[in-house]
Amino acid sequence: MDISSWDGTLSSSDFCLAAHAFTEKWKRINPVLPPWSWVPRPKSPWLASHEVEGYLSLENMCILRSCEEDHDEKSHKGNEEPNCLGKDEYIDNATLVQSYRQDVRYFDFHIVYSASYRVPVLYFRTYSSDGQPLLLEDIEKELPGNSTNVLMESKWTFITQEEHPYLNRPWYKLHPCGTSEWMKLLFLTDPSLGGSQGVPVELYLSSWISMVGQAVGLKVPLEMFNKRKE
Amino acid sequence: MAGQESGAVLQFAPFQSSVDEGFWHRLSSLKLNKLGIDDSPISITGFYAPCSHSQVSNHLTLLAESLPPEPSEQSSTPPISRGNRNRCSVPGILYNTNTLESFHALDKQSLLKAEAEKIWNDIHSGKAEEDCSVLSRFLLISFADLKKWSFHYWFAFPALVLDPPATLVDLKPASQWFSLEEAESVSAACNEWRNSSSTADVPFFLVSIASNSRATIRHLKDWEACQEDGHKLLFGFYDPCHLPKNPGWPLRNFLVLIYSRWNIKKVQFLCYRENRGFADLGLSLVGEAQISAPQEWRDELHVPNVVGWELNRGKKVYRCIGLAKSMDPTRLAISAADLNLKLMRWRALPSLNLNILSTMKCLLLGAGTLGCQVARMLMAWGVRKITLLDNGKVAMSNPLRQSLYTLDDCLNGGEFKALAAVNSLKRIFPAVEAEGVVMAIPMPGHPVPSQEEESVLDDCRRLCELIESHDAVFLLTDTRESRWLPTLLCAHANKMTITAALGFDSFLVMRHGAGPLSSTIDNRAEAMNALSADMSKFSLTDSDGGQRLGCYFCNDVVAPVDSTSNRTLDQQCTVTRPGLAPIASALAVELLVGILHHPHGIFAEGENANSSSNGINEQPLGILPHQIRGSLAQFSQMTLVGHSSNSCTACCDTVVSEYRKRGLDFILQAINHPTYLEDLTGLTELMKSASSFKLDWDNDTDADDDDCVEI
Repeated sequence: MDISSWDGTLSSSDFCLAAHAFTEKWKRINPVLPPWSWVPRPKSPWLASHEVEGYLSLENMCILRSCEEDHDEKSHKGNEEPNCLGKDEYIDNATLVQSYRQDVRYFDFHIVYSASYRVPVLYFRTYSSDGQPLLLEDIEKELPGNSTNVLMESKWTFITQEEHPYLNRPWYKLHPCGTSEWMKLLFLTDPSLGGSQGVPVELYLSSWISMVGQAVGLKVPLEMFNKRKE
Repeated sequence: MAGQESGAVLQFAPFQSSVDEGFWHRLSSLKLNKLGIDDSPISITGFYAPCSHSQVSNHLTLLAESLPPEPSEQSSTPPISRGNRNRCSVPGILYNTNTLESFHALDKQSLLKAEAEKIWNDIHSGKAEEDCSVLSRFLLISFADLKKWSFHYWFAFPALVLDPPATLVDLKPASQWFSLEEAESVSAACNEWRNSSSTADVPFFLVSIASNSRATIRHLKDWEACQEDGHKLLFGFYDPCHLPKNPGWPLRNFLVLIYSRWNIKKVQFLCYRENRGFADLGLSLVGEAQISAPQEWRDELHVPNVVGWELNRGKKVYRCIGLAKSMDPTRLAISAADLNLKLMRWRALPSLNLNILSTMKCLLLGAGTLGCQVARMLMAWGVRKITLLDNGKVAMSNPLRQSLYTLDDCLNGGEFKALAAVNSLKRIFPAVEAEGVVMAIPMPGHPVPSQEEESVLDDCRRLCELIESHDAVFLLTDTRESRWLPTLLCAHANKMTITAALGFDSFLVMRHGAGPLSSTIDNRAEAMNALSADMSKFSLTDSDGGQRLGCYFCNDVVAPVDSTSNRTLDQQCTVTRPGLAPIASALAVELLVGILHHPHGIFAEGENANSSSNGINEQPLGILPHQIRGSLAQFSQMTLVGHSSNSCTACCDTVVSEYRKRGLDFILQAINHPTYLEDLTGLTELMKSASSFKLDWDNDTDADDDDCVEI
């Protein structure tokens, strides 16, 4: 399809192609970060037999926060119960006593295809090391400065909380209604993308994630946008 | 790098737990759907993997899959896959209590001892060599509060205690322990072990190094065979800990097994850790431990002491997690509703003022066909504060046309509409702040016997308070005369007022103009507060046929009278085409939203569709008409502008001033003497010279249209 008449969307089979190209490229270029993996989902009965349903997943990406002294003394959730383990508890000096200075935030990212918008959608969530999920307000506070700018100024990015299509739990997502427009814009204005051969599907996800990654503080290395085939 | 001094007690880094939200969701659903009050222990599965980050330890994780699948789900939930290198399964047991008291009352030590005994027995029976993940068996106690969506919980990772404790002879990074060839071979062997689905999730193993530096990894159960080789032997395990000077918790029970089963007192161990999916011998540690526990300690019949309750930020206390935000259905409904409105603002209407919609209070007079639909439309626009006033009860014919009622509301004589409507609104959207007022509106032309006078005056006062305390008022009642008092009170208080009225196949939706004695837009701010405006100071907008927009009664040449008595039954049971009420209600709410977004608000001039001036002044929502009249017979609709009449029985200066002067006395007089209003406003005079009177209308309207009645 000619780029000028393209509407910025992807078919679901193109999404699968793009996903696999993307994971390969990511692994090759980006050995430091954990790899994306494809998670297949059981097929819906209404899908044609050659279509595969699934999504890309990058989980347990951890971000270390700076050490904070005596943090959370007041948000200490348990009650002090001096005898809570009873008198016959064994006193053990083989247990290492650790100081709790470090705070780690974990991020999970899923790239899921939206059949109604026909574009990929980034779902994400953050939680601390014991599994407690973080609220959007807290996440936004911790995003690097340029992310918040992207979120506020760009009319293309909009974080909402919606039910994850496969996991039936609320996740945060970047709302997809602007995606096709700016993907089209991106491909039209960048001469190295596509051209007369049509829409380079395998570059779709790399370009897409360059935009959405900024909004959620997911650092995407520049080589991902390298259009030369390797 | 020098290792630890020999003789120091070997200290293990405790296991840390991490519970994915999904686990709590599944536990809640299991509790609600299957278990009920059954609090027998549940077998669960934990997952962990070797450390893969030099600064962060791995945790023992619980996921939704950790709980046994519900029988109905068995087909759709994927079974716990074995052979997943990132999810080594570990068996555990969950004691979930039904109350917080029973959670605190659990005998934690004996529960811990029971799990320790299982591990001890598995070691001595040989089961631990067959399925080594049982060495890391764990215990979880919890209390799930399914009303507040909070979960109290406490993990224990039972570790059998060597007495006296093992000491550390040496500990250093594996790359420094092995020779270069050994290191290469060990790495390769480990990677192979980790990549094969039959061994990837086996967390304890033997590392056998031949004299030619070739390393092989073997299962624990191959111990006897390894003995015959005579090769160098290390005891390896997946170490979740990242620390450079301490091994992780799983080594504790591993040492117990090695000593109890094989009677080895000097143990060389490998803390296996990874980086980017491959063995990392710089992060991994090799060490030597010395066990000095006496032989009697190995006696199968004496279970050693046990430790293992997880500390919460260094304190011996349980943990608590609150998940209301992601589990409470009401909160989820609220955020979904907000999302909808935000999307509208974000994608189509950036000037949409969601704040004003969510904070404004709307009063709906009438909870019938119009009232029900208006309430729903208001909620759809994000209005949360709604008061409905109606003195009727839900009748059997109502649910068909009045969208908030069902058959249940009709039974036993019928619920009061105002109250049934409020319940219905709450069922639709729990966060609505809805109130119902069961009250009749006093009407002119319906004289009041003296013994009821006081109660009618109370109702008047009540209505007055309601109007004062709300921001917008919808007149949705079923008679003309019931609209009179509210119109007067709204004109006096200068409240945004929307009238909707239905004929058989035609409707009128209009917004009342600003009250009289309020000035132009320039002096609006003063007018809003001022009731101290000197009555003699009529502003420019007050002159005959002035720019103040009219109210529902401004077209009248007769005062509202009793329209219900002396009619045949057919006419009393008002009938309209069913499509009318939803159309009119929807327009009424859209009209209000238009007023809210117009810079002049209640003072905004009336605009007509297809008018030439529209292009210049058009607001984002479009034009803001004064009146909309529609006809279903024609499937047509037109917009009209009507200015206030100096002789209006409800909103002209004379009437409003008289009300301000005499208050409830004036109202009572109007109620009891219908011609009083006509006399007061000079309408009586006008009627005498009817032929010369010219109504200020843009279009010809049928007189019947004014006789609107509604169901």
